[in-house]
Amino acid sequence: MGRDLARVLALWSGRGAWLLAGVIAAVLSTLAGVALLVLAGRVVAGAVAQGQPGAVALAGLGLGALLWLRPVMLFRPVARYLERLVTHEATFRALADMRVWFFTRLAARLPAGIGLRQAGDLLARLVADVESLDGLYLRVLVPAASALAVVVAVAVAVGAADPGLAAVLALPLAAALLLPVALAPVAARAGQAVARAQGGLRSAVIDPLSGIEDTLAANAEARASARVAAEGAALAAAQRDLARRAAWGGAAGSLLVQVALLGTLGWALVAGQSGLAAGLMGVFLAIAAAEALGLMPRAGAALAAAGAGARRLFDAADTPEPVPDPVAPAAVPTGHALRVSGLRFRWAADRPLVFDGLDLDLPEGARIALLGPSGVGKSTLAALLLKFAAPEGGRITLGGVDIATLPAAELRRRVTWLTQDARLFDDTIAANLRLAAPDAEDAALWAALDRAQVGDVVRALPDRLETLCGEGGLRFSGGQARRLALARTLLSPASVVILDEPAAGLDADTERAFLQTLDDAMGGRSVILIQHHLLGVEHPTRILRLAAGRAIPAAG
Amino acid sequence: MASIPAGAEAGAAALLKREARSERARLTTPILLGLGIAACGVAQALLIARLLATLLGRAEAGVADLAAAAALALLMAALAMAQERAQIAAGEDAKARLRAAAFARLLAAGPQDERAVGEKSALVVERIEALEGYFARWLPAAALAVLAPLLIAGAAALADPVSGLILLGAGLLVPIAQAISGIGAGVASRRQFAALQRLSGRFLDRMRGLPVLVLLNQQQAEASRLGAAAEELRARTMRVLRLAFISTGAMELIVGIALASLAYRHGHLVAGTHPAPVSALFTLLLVPVFFAPLRAFAGAYHEQLSARGAAADLAPLLAAHTPDGLLLEEVPPKVTVTFQDVRLTYDPSRPPALDGVSFRVLPGETLLLTGESGSGKTSILRILMGFRRPDGGRVAINGHDVTLLRPSELRRLCSYVGQRAHIFRGTIRDNIAFARPEADDAAILAAARAAQVTEFASDLPQGLDTLVGEGGFGLSGGQAQRVAVARAFLRDAPLVLLDEPTTHLDPGTEAVVLDALRRLCVGRTAIVATHARAARGYFGKVLQLSAGREAGDRMAGN
Repeated sequence: MGRDLARVLALWSGRGAWLLAGVIAAVLSTLAGVALLVLAGRVVAGAVAQGQPGAVALAGLGLGALLWLRPVMLFRPVARYLERLVTHEATFRALADMRVWFFTRLAARLPAGIGLRQAGDLLARLVADVESLDGLYLRVLVPAASALAVVVAVAVAVGAADPGLAAVLALPLAAALLLPVALAPVAARAGQAVARAQGGLRSAVIDPLSGIEDTLAANAEARASARVAAEGAALAAAQRDLARRAAWGGAAGSLLVQVALLGTLGWALVAGQSGLAAGLMGVFLAIAAAEALGLMPRAGAALAAAGAGARRLFDAADTPEPVPDPVAPAAVPTGHALRVSGLRFRWAADRPLVFDGLDLDLPEGARIALLGPSGVGKSTLAALLLKFAAPEGGRITLGGVDIATLPAAELRRRVTWLTQDARLFDDTIAANLRLAAPDAEDAALWAALDRAQVGDVVRALPDRLETLCGEGGLRFSGGQARRLALARTLLSPASVVILDEPAAGLDADTERAFLQTLDDAMGGRSVILIQHHLLGVEHPTRILRLAAGRAIPAAG
Repeated sequence: MASIPAGAEAGAAALLKREARSERARLTTPILLGLGIAACGVAQALLIARLLATLLGRAEAGVADLAAAAALALLMAALAMAQERAQIAAGEDAKARLRAAAFARLLAAGPQDERAVGEKSALVVERIEALEGYFARWLPAAALAVLAPLLIAGAAALADPVSGLILLGAGLLVPIAQAISGIGAGVASRRQFAALQRLSGRFLDRMRGLPVLVLLNQQQAEASRLGAAAEELRARTMRVLRLAFISTGAMELIVGIALASLAYRHGHLVAGTHPAPVSALFTLLLVPVFFAPLRAFAGAYHEQLSARGAAADLAPLLAAHTPDGLLLEEVPPKVTVTFQDVRLTYDPSRPPALDGVSFRVLPGETLLLTGESGSGKTSILRILMGFRRPDGGRVAINGHDVTLLRPSELRRLCSYVGQRAHIFRGTIRDNIAFARPEADDAAILAAARAAQVTEFASDLPQGLDTLVGEGGFGLSGGQAQRVAVARAFLRDAPLVLLDEPTTHLDPGTEAVVLDALRRLCVGRTAIVATHARAARGYFGKVLQLSAGREAGDRMAGN
């Protein structure tokens, strides 16, 4: 856990100034609070002692304290306000960095999609786990720094007068300070259980809602609700367990502070007149310290939650990259002829080979039609051409350069792929299109929409290019969404385009019209057209059929 | 308490009030325990005051007082633990009840609720969790912030009336300071939640399309857009907190004023021998005890705002009318579907999806709906699935108006295969059995065979027990679709609704699946939305749609 948290702090180092400023404000505010109670105590004790033999010094101290009372009284609220403001500001900045870092890491690691990791779980990771990290700073580091400052101040102030009393007072306080660290591993397990339960609940909610039509069609409402209720109950049990542990930690912490307070009183009773001044100060210090240390038991739970959150974040962020970029990338090729030779590939060691010695040649400007039944590996070939997966054997070259030696970003600037499930994002049509060409003018967007035969549909919408697509393009019919995705691909500057069932979901007339105009739409680019079958209007330069892991010339 | 102006917030307040009332019995325990802790604190302060006075030579206390103080310390620790447990229990019930209600409403709304799944899940998970602080901490803390200081100020007044008044006055200042900073914070709290909601919805959306982003080299740009969204969240949240924290500063000022007033009262004004040394020390020592429940109240105040923001988002959902209607006594073996001049409009700013559609399908018949995408094929199926109620005209099954039936009952009549089947996380077998959980293995296997699922499943290491992920990881589009067809076989319902089920299948598979689907349709009532090419695979009459109307004559065909 320590290593994970150290790594979190390292990721936050860019916000070091904010974080440090927050800690300083917290220490000042806490010390001011302690000083306030001690000063008030001195004033009253001085008054009470007045007229008592040997208490002249105390009375004098009381008068001095009275003078200090007002500035400290005014300083404390300002320091406290600044502390809360600066610490929260620092946390939010650090957490924003963390979100971006995590997203970027995942983008490099899970390019082929969410796969077996559940989307619900990933959402839990980013939102909840990243947020649990704010506890590391706000509820662990800041209170710990304040409490430490109090313990040190107490030890120094009392230690100057009487080292023995300083030990009686400061040792239990120090123990209360360290208690959360000692309890953290146990609390961490409970914290992990809560985080797991929350992820489970979120998945139980997201899975049926993602497939809402299928859920309802199967009359599965009651089953889905029962699962949500069960996961909710599991979460409640985990939270109860965590709270119980936190309560134990809290009780132990407050008892240690009481030991310091009552121990000091006992010491003063035994010491009598000689230790009166030091004893009095000690008692008020102990009472004041209780407040600063009172936050520490919660720190244990927060530390545990942050540790658990950090573990899960790093677990996801540290999965190996499926295809790491080359350390010393080759020079970017000038041509874009694509050649595949002797390709061997399988998705996992225990799955059958998808390709076994596949050869394929795509000269510049050529248009290959790649046919075959579903599941034969047409889309897998596209994934390999774009380095979403690495071949087990064989070579793929672009313009004569092995793509294994090219950075993925350079490759994807030259080769693009309209996937079967190309998603539209919950944003405007324009924003969706500009993903492919961030600087494109509106005119270029309209041209692409027209070439994808969807320009008239968009023109008929009241908000036109600014129409929101809804999640996964839900606001459009399947065919319309497909054509919008196609328009996005057409905007890409890539010179090689892989079209994976570009006309799926289009009605027959539109499909035919679209495939007829494909040549114009593509300009001089090389095209790999993946289709179940040819309509006879595509005019490819070559037709290949995938079978038994190889590409075989076919007649159509 | 903050007064929140907007009308939507009235629903939030009503919701929280209703839930608080039903949790009343559970809330009494933590409040009583909190009062017990306060009473122990008062007693301990008195003992310590006596001990301090003894040190100063003004009282006679000894080891017995010290031992009593220690016993009180133990008692307080025990009470605090019990209180913590009681608080958690108070929130649990309310959360479970509200979560179930919110989720049921989302299911009932179905595809009609077009919000992103991430947004919906945030309602059921985060928003409900945000309510916990309201029941577990805010309500007990609010009660204790009134009762405990009164108890303590009363104890102080018994020792010294002026000190009691000082504490009471300080206590009254606290809620005033809270209210002043809280009025603006309530509105800002809602904005913060909206930002959080958008952030989580956006993330799930972008995660799902991560391959697209990576393909287009947009992952870095999207990361910085995500950073900008996070930055917006920070700005919004800090706006809430800048106000909320004023109350923290105000609180400390009030504590300081109370301490200083007591110090002046007992230190400055008294000349000569103090008349009541134990009382003076006692009232001073009561200050931390007095402010402890008020501090807990201030700490919980932000939770109350958060809960109120969450409740405002939940209230419209929970207030939504649950679709009601008649229940089916049994599923009839044969159904006749009649549409009479049916009209449906999704969005008033767009043309109607259905603009006067009429047809009748008899048992054993198959009706093919053809037409361009957006011509209304899917809308007809949505009405029959109970996802939508028609805006006009009449839809009847066996002569009975379907709008009288509860939508879920309507779905008991039909098997459905859509354009893009959702594959749930689980095994292939689970995914097929989903359509009829009580089905036995033989029935599942028969359905898998009929839909050609066994053909590809037998090549997988675990066969039908192969785990498939959310979104259908490991299954191609065609394979996922075949699983959906298997579901329809297993369901064995009298009405078959197919929404372009072979769009993603290659001709080879399509032919086989069409054959299977034809067998599925035999003896049942079937309505199939399909493209002209695929329509040749079915035997049935064709209804050609165009812009929500029938285009041309109905014709017999095959």
